[in-house]
Amino acid sequence: MSDRRRINGPVGATIPPVSEDGASREVAGSRGGRSRPPNAIRKMYLKTGVTPSASGSAYLEIETSGRSGVSGLKLSCTVHGPRSLPRSSPFSPHIILSTHVKYAPFATRQRRGYLRDPSERDLGTHLEAALRGAIIADRWPKSGVDIIVSIIEGDQDRETSKTQGDESWDLMNALSGCITVASAALADAGIDCVDTVAGGVAALVSDKGDASPSIVIDPIPSEHDRILAACCIAYLPTRDEVTNLWFKGDLPASDTELYTKLVEKGIQASAKANRVLVECLGETVG
Amino acid sequence: MASTQHVLLSPAELAYLHAALSLTPPIRPDGRAPAQFRPLVAETGILPGTNGSARICFADGTEAIVGVKAEVERTRLVDGATAGTEWKEGGSARGEGEDDDGGDKAGDSDWVELTVEIPGYRDDDAGTAFLAAMLSEALLADGAFAKRLWINRRFHWKLYLDVLLISPPLSYPLPLLSLTTHLALLATRLPRLKSEGDEDPFFDDDWAAARHLFPRSSSSTTKESARPPVTLLVMAVGNNIIFDPAKEELAVADVALAVSVAEDTTAAATTAATMDLDDAAAPAARSLRLLSIRTIDPPSRLTPPGVPNAANSAYGATTAQKQPEARTAEAEAVEGVWRAPRGGAKPLVMAALVQKVLEKGGVADEILDALDAVDLG
Amino acid sequence: MATSSGTTSVAIPGQLLGPASKFQPGPGTHIHNANLYSSLLGVVHASQPAKPPGPAKRLTKITVPTQTPAELPTLSVSRTGVSEKREVLPEVGNTVLCRVTRITPRQAVVAILICGDTVLEAEWQGLIRVQDVRATEKDKVKIYESFRPGDIVRAEVISLGDQANFYLSTARNELGVILATSEAGNNMYPVNWKEYMDPETGLSELRKVAKPY
Repeated sequence: MSDRRRINGPVGATIPPVSEDGASREVAGSRGGRSRPPNAIRKMYLKTGVTPSASGSAYLEIETSGRSGVSGLKLSCTVHGPRSLPRSSPFSPHIILSTHVKYAPFATRQRRGYLRDPSERDLGTHLEAALRGAIIADRWPKSGVDIIVSIIEGDQDRETSKTQGDESWDLMNALSGCITVASAALADAGIDCVDTVAGGVAALVSDKGDASPSIVIDPIPSEHDRILAACCIAYLPTRDEVTNLWFKGDLPASDTELYTKLVEKGIQASAKANRVLVECLGETVG
Repeated sequence: MASTQHVLLSPAELAYLHAALSLTPPIRPDGRAPAQFRPLVAETGILPGTNGSARICFADGTEAIVGVKAEVERTRLVDGATAGTEWKEGGSARGEGEDDDGGDKAGDSDWVELTVEIPGYRDDDAGTAFLAAMLSEALLADGAFAKRLWINRRFHWKLYLDVLLISPPLSYPLPLLSLTTHLALLATRLPRLKSEGDEDPFFDDDWAAARHLFPRSSSSTTKESARPPVTLLVMAVGNNIIFDPAKEELAVADVALAVSVAEDTTAAATTAATMDLDDAAAPAARSLRLLSIRTIDPPSRLTPPGVPNAANSAYGATTAQKQPEARTAEAEAVEGVWRAPRGGAKPLVMAALVQKVLEKGGVADEILDALDAVDLG
Repeated sequence: MATSSGTTSVAIPGQLLGPASKFQPGPGTHIHNANLYSSLLGVVHASQPAKPPGPAKRLTKITVPTQTPAELPTLSVSRTGVSEKREVLPEVGNTVLCRVTRITPRQAVVAILICGDTVLEAEWQGLIRVQDVRATEKDKVKIYESFRPGDIVRAEVISLGDQANFYLSTARNELGVILATSEAGNNMYPVNWKEYMDPETGLSELRKVAKPY
């Protein structure tokens, strides 16, 4: 219902006009350019046991790319349980996982609400699939465990992510971080796992300078002109098994070589993240 | 959600199913071949109030309806500093003619809204969100779909796809919903635009003149036209790859993947020119594009384990007195006794699944051919 | 990784501990492809097996002879020594301590507090049905003559039960109420197998009394 007694501002959110000066143009010009080699992931910091009240917890930080206005990825994960299931749920011979992924309202360029939106629920389902394969569920009959991942900073570029489709690629990076941090928190909580699962992302990107698209791991969408396809993989290194595979993009089916290579690189990225995970868990006990 | 709903099968039944499906060739409970789909009934144009609609009914009784509604919506200007310049450039570019299908016909993924409703599940259920995300992800993957909704610089169509499962989800509904959405989009027509340029859009009210969202080239048989993607559910048991698994089959899956494919329009167009002489060869020349893959969490991980005779007190096993800490009664796997699978799948198995979907003349081809045969009213 | 010496070493989930033919799996480990792997983050313990029990008792029933690899050492992984926050789940055969929360004519509802020697972090609900209260004269058992809300009971887990409850039994001499409060609110002491007495009022109340050790 509109208020006719007062002079109101325009309906809906508007963005104040920003005059284009030299400085912002310069920033836009320096955009792009991946500083890392194509098969290197960004540095990450992982620590377990950060939330004393939870059964297990972990914190993951992935470094920013060094330019102003670009935030890294900051995730915090808490694991509550195993605890008894609510009375209404049926008997289960296994542990029931429930995963919640939530962006903090301030984590992304566009403010998020407090209720989980469909993309966050979708991430939660992916995370559940990745972890379900890693845990030994029959050790804990009739119990449930809650895994809550809060994305504190969402790995977004405030200056340049006006291009379309950026946010959907960001989800993959966020998911791989969620998998790694949840795996550390599960190990901290003392829930039986067959292996330490870690996430990794590989993408097929095309840059202005290069003639043909190339495959990079741990891509930052703002560093590339176009992302043609990407995949996020949850990988168990000692068993050499994949628990979750999420591929998105547009690849010709005749060339399965490209797809296979992309998955291989995703596994490679995951194995690199796993090394950090193993080191961190070793520190937790030692 | 639907994929992880409780399977009411005993460990003995699960072990039997798993053994039958691991044979070469696998023996499926309903007698199908490994790559054979369940028979289905499909029709389009069932809802007169929509721009396009379809209904598919599987033989097991699961049934889905999709309605597509389109509304004209004002395009939000590109935000921030670029908005002004964009406008100016637009004004100067106008003289060069509006009909170029160039890159400025950019679409936005916000122009498509897809909702899935499954009886017995909440709207905000994670599994429902997963299904909706999967379907719209495939639709928007190549970026070409949103461009079809472009009217002019200031207006676009907003497409609402409402996917309704009418029956209770007897099996994992993803393939059903995807096929129904595919047909509904094929049948979707938008009124013909009468206005020109960037003025407020004005449409022909003759429904017969409405153009298809995915125009069908009925005249030339060789020229394949663009079509929406389809999502196929494929699973592996042992060394076998099984398509369109029923609920019981999914309950013993080692790994399940949902693979979205679409026809490659650009490649088809180039091959069509060379294939002009030989009409019969044209369908075989269809090339596919891989749009998305997702792992479906198989419900087999939530199945109850069987008890081997050696550990069953009814068969004379002595129950050892346990210490409180010895909860982890870890036993070796016994032949013929069901155990829920642990861990994931080998990368090679996953690659084989995708390969099987994409291979020329494979299942994806067959499905697209079969859908071609549906009368679009 | 090699833990044959029995020295402590750190294991993370998925770490190879040794071939399954040489060790017995203990808590915190799992078998995959005939190898023993860790499934928990913690310290590896190798415990030498106890002496194989001799034929102390005459067998009273015929059993299938099972090959018990009792001579193998048991490997286990636990967080002991780091922080004791590992949670334990009641399992069939465990002795638990619980508090009676509610009684009905057919059953007593209890909250399980301690499992074995471990204090549980989460509270699990248990159920003592009327037929599981004692071993004899089961048809004459009355729940209100056996338990009262607030009593502390020692019981044995007999089943994982339904969705909400573990099923417990007190059908042994050493199981039953170990701590009871009278209607006047005083702690009572057991006087015989079915009575507790209030030391101040001198009144006795009926309980299924656990035999003191």
